[in-house]
Amino acid sequence: MPEIGIVETRNIINVINQKYNYDFSDYALTSLKRRIEKIIEQNNLKYPDILINRLTDEPQFIHPFIDQLTTGSTEMFRDPSLWRLLREEILPTLQNETGKDLKIWLPFSVSGDELFSLAIMLHEMNLLDKASILVSALSETSIETMKSGIMLNSKEEISCDNYVRANGKLALPKYYTLTDGRITRDISLIKNVRFTKQNIETEPVPQNIKLVLFRNKMIYFNTTLQNRILKTIYNTMVPNGILAIGTKESISTLYGNNNFIRISKTESIYKRK
Amino acid sequence: MYKAIVIGGSAGSFQVVTKILSALPKDLNVPVLLSLHRLKHVRSGFLEALMLKSNIPIIEPDDKEQIKPGRAYLAPANYHMYIELGNRIALSTEEPVNHSRPSIDLSFVTAAQAYRDKLIGIILSGANSDGSYGLQKVKEYNGLTIVQDPRECQVRTMSEAAMKLTQVDHVYTTDQIINFLLKLK
Repeated sequence: MPEIGIVETRNIINVINQKYNYDFSDYALTSLKRRIEKIIEQNNLKYPDILINRLTDEPQFIHPFIDQLTTGSTEMFRDPSLWRLLREEILPTLQNETGKDLKIWLPFSVSGDELFSLAIMLHEMNLLDKASILVSALSETSIETMKSGIMLNSKEEISCDNYVRANGKLALPKYYTLTDGRITRDISLIKNVRFTKQNIETEPVPQNIKLVLFRNKMIYFNTTLQNRILKTIYNTMVPNGILAIGTKESISTLYGNNNFIRISKTESIYKRK
Repeated sequence: MYKAIVIGGSAGSFQVVTKILSALPKDLNVPVLLSLHRLKHVRSGFLEALMLKSNIPIIEPDDKEQIKPGRAYLAPANYHMYIELGNRIALSTEEPVNHSRPSIDLSFVTAAQAYRDKLIGIILSGANSDGSYGLQKVKEYNGLTIVQDPRECQVRTMSEAAMKLTQVDHVYTTDQIINFLLKLK
């Protein structure tokens, strides 16, 4: 894999900021640098300068670029115990405390793994039709990918295992088809989902959110950006609303400390004050 | 003079890591970064098992946790563990590398870039070649490279793969690794 330096990484950050208004200056540098290296390799660009030229000369390239830059590839039903807890305790309590309607937000979505896991769980709880799900993404490419239902084959095995451990009611393959070696998830599950390409720092965000799924996104930010985004998320939520972050993400030293109460340590679930 | 030790291991490395951790002094003046293959879906138990005999505290770090000397940092299940600027841990859920998350290569590469010639990289027993690319990077950045003697390894693939790619500085048995680390003080 090509290796690029911190200076070159910052140059690329500057180009996409100036030309396309995407601000990655507060992303965690190590993983960002690695993903740029990966994009250079996958697109056979050889040197950072060639990538910069392509970004400058070919405006359409920004969409797949941002998609690849923000891919925090996971799997479906990651941390099965979280999904069990959501279904068995968190969602019923949430509905008791805040009413039956269920407005859910997934900021910084990329692959659709979390979205389809959520949709399947709600479907199996007979809540999918009552829920309103909002998905925000940074790039058009990410939205197209999610809408298409496509899932990477490499995630199939672990996703099926996770689904079983999450006490799914059927079998995960009921929710996707395999055609010409490609996995496509059942897009009728997301027919009512609203997708928005947006920068949540500068554009209007949704309101009255009861559940925010924001797992393993903050790990790609530095602590400054983590704080800013947490504040934004807090302001979108209703009191007693639920925020789920990654099991190894922490908001205890951040803005969240005074504004959220942790209700599950093992699954990193927080309730908005 | 060294600022960190990074250890990678897979099948057959658990006892070796345990033995090393039990022999390290409490006042060790560098951090130990542990990138060990483990079951993705089992989040607890591994840390506790390692802690039983360890002489220094072991932490499964949260993202952006500050790295401190005298402690061991164990890559959490299903996350890659990077060394981030400012001597912090950064975690990632990016795709597995060589079917592994945590990837030993990624921990070693980012540690090499962060600590350069002040890093000791150690590859232990294992049944695949994860870590060999990472150890090569440690060497490239003038860090010190050690592999567990394949003759002592329960599974020798990982050691041998690392030796094939890199002219390593030392091929040591577990006891020799421990003696070497103890002399660093």
